[in-house]
Amino acid sequence: MIKVRSLKKTYGRVQALKGLDMDVPAGAVYGFIGQNGAGKTTTLRILAGLLVPDGGTAEVAGLEIGRHPRALREVVGYMPDFFGVYDDLRVGEYLLFYAAAYGIRGPRAFKLRDDLLELVELGEKREAFVDTLSRGMQQRLCLARALIHDPRVLLLDEPASGLDPLARVEMREILKELSKLGKTILISSHILSELADLCTHIGMITEGRLVRQGPLAELLNGTPVQTIILRCHGPAEAAEKLVAGWPGVEVLRSLSGQIEFRLAGGSAQAAELLKELVLRGVPVTHFAQEEQSLEDTFVQLAREGGLDD
Amino acid sequence: MTEEVREEQKGQEQEKEAAGQRKEGGAKQRPQEKRFFLRDCWEGLRCGLAPMLGKEMRGRTRGWRSPVLLSVYLGVLGTFVLLFLWLNLERLSMIRPQVGLSLYSLFIFSLIMLISFIAPAVAAGAISGERERRTYDLLLVTKASIPGIVLGKWLASVVYLMFLAVAALPVFAVVFLYGGVPPAILGLAFVVCLAAGLGYGAMGLALSALTQRSQAAMIISLVLVFFFIFGIPVITGIIMASNPPGPSPQPLGQPGAAIAGPPWYVFLSPLTAFTSVLPGTGEYDRNWGIPLISELMNMLLNRMVQPEMVAYAYKMGYTTGYVFPGYPGGVAAKPAGLAAWAPWARFTLYQGILIPVCLAAAILAVAPRKPWPFHRAGKK
Repeated sequence: MIKVRSLKKTYGRVQALKGLDMDVPAGAVYGFIGQNGAGKTTTLRILAGLLVPDGGTAEVAGLEIGRHPRALREVVGYMPDFFGVYDDLRVGEYLLFYAAAYGIRGPRAFKLRDDLLELVELGEKREAFVDTLSRGMQQRLCLARALIHDPRVLLLDEPASGLDPLARVEMREILKELSKLGKTILISSHILSELADLCTHIGMITEGRLVRQGPLAELLNGTPVQTIILRCHGPAEAAEKLVAGWPGVEVLRSLSGQIEFRLAGGSAQAAELLKELVLRGVPVTHFAQEEQSLEDTFVQLAREGGLDD
Repeated sequence: MTEEVREEQKGQEQEKEAAGQRKEGGAKQRPQEKRFFLRDCWEGLRCGLAPMLGKEMRGRTRGWRSPVLLSVYLGVLGTFVLLFLWLNLERLSMIRPQVGLSLYSLFIFSLIMLISFIAPAVAAGAISGERERRTYDLLLVTKASIPGIVLGKWLASVVYLMFLAVAALPVFAVVFLYGGVPPAILGLAFVVCLAAGLGYGAMGLALSALTQRSQAAMIISLVLVFFFIFGIPVITGIIMASNPPGPSPQPLGQPGAAIAGPPWYVFLSPLTAFTSVLPGTGEYDRNWGIPLISELMNMLLNRMVQPEMVAYAYKMGYTTGYVFPGYPGGVAAKPAGLAAWAPWARFTLYQGILIPVCLAAAILAVAPRKPWPFHRAGKK
């Protein structure tokens, strides 16, 4: 649904994007993660047609950015990280204004307004002035605005930033609903734990390049370094000696029969080590890979410079 | 010939065929694309203009602010009229024939000044305000085209001012109690007001798009408007005083006699348009108002007072010593071309040029993709 190739963008002397490649499959909820200044917002703004790239190509639903700007606007719904509202409009009028700006008028616009307000749970606030809404409500209203023309692709830049935990949960539920409706969602966020719960695919960006992408499960299990916890029955000196001498191992801590270490390589390496431990007669009671969170994976990749390949 | 070369040639032929097909297809699709282009342009304009105007008007006329503002505005104007009438009728215990004309002059001067300064000040926040409020990106991702957004913003910023001008019409009607002002002249005065509001509004909008901050746009636009209104006539006056025109080839009143007209740029100032819509600025009392402006207007434009107005004033017996000389040399020396245009028409023409220039500048400033090639070259 979204295909980006060698995308480049420079602001003065700062190169925000250095040849970004990205593929977002249709119907995916694609979590776009990276540090501040990594190029997430720039990418989203280019995909929304708000910025012109200096090089490379980007396609959304088969429409090349820059060549089909009007068709692109019909396909894409965009929600920026920071946005304002017109304080002199009521909630319903706000949506009708954007509906008219998308060429939707008459009874269809009224129906869309009511349906969307129901979806984002703001039906009761229809007659309230927009500036009287809380931050969370304004975020939801902005999401409804992005959906007013029924886009196939949603570009959401930090939709949960500045929200309290309850509002975040509400936002997440709405996004799940939208995912069920078949929308392709590209969502950038710093709150990685929430993305892990929501996303089907993940892309990691650092310094203007996408360094990892793929289905979430694949990404979490396919990291080159894994953390393993080993427990033995009785003293673990022999086990620790063997593990510490094993190639690609970095012992993190060893305490009362439990050794926590990092092992470079995939599950084959781990199986080899376990086999050797058993052959040497180490009474292994527990040998398991620590469940990797998205946060761990990202931090690990960032630390190891694995984000460079 | 090797296999590789053959394959390469085959590939090239296939590419040529495909290119030919694309070309044919392109030629066939061209009229359709053109139709779509026009349809898209119209749709983009409609999506920008109508919602923007609706939103602005709704916002401005909402709540207690609008009726209070309108009441205060009309109340001040009404009080001013009553005070003026009281001073003229009660204090002098007689009706001076020029009361209507003087009142009308004051009204029109105030109205044009008001509109000339408020229109750019309001428009100066139109686009930069959207940027500051962070609603700008949300507009650009809609189907509204950039010309549609800019036009919508421009009209929205001046339409309320025009509403205020129209609301003041009943107050203006007081001048008809005394006569002396033909309705056509009053209509011309409103045309000048409209031209000033739309032109300076467009200028404010262009500055709003070009500068990032509303405050900067407002200050620059007000300085520019001040320069247009007062600076240009003053500079013209100084230039003309220091470089007086050469003697007429024939004595005045003789065929072939001519007086050099004011330079073209002086008509950029709405003050010059006053000579069309006012019964001679400063004619009745040269010490009234701003002497410099009155003197300057008389000096620059004493030959270009609307003949219709003067004839009417003569007919009504209002002219007091100001003799309109007519064209020296008779019809033969009548100015031709643009110089023959009445001041209000020349001012309106210049404003008509200023508007598209400013709107185009605003559109180019707002558009993410600039059309000029060096922008793209620079990007590469």
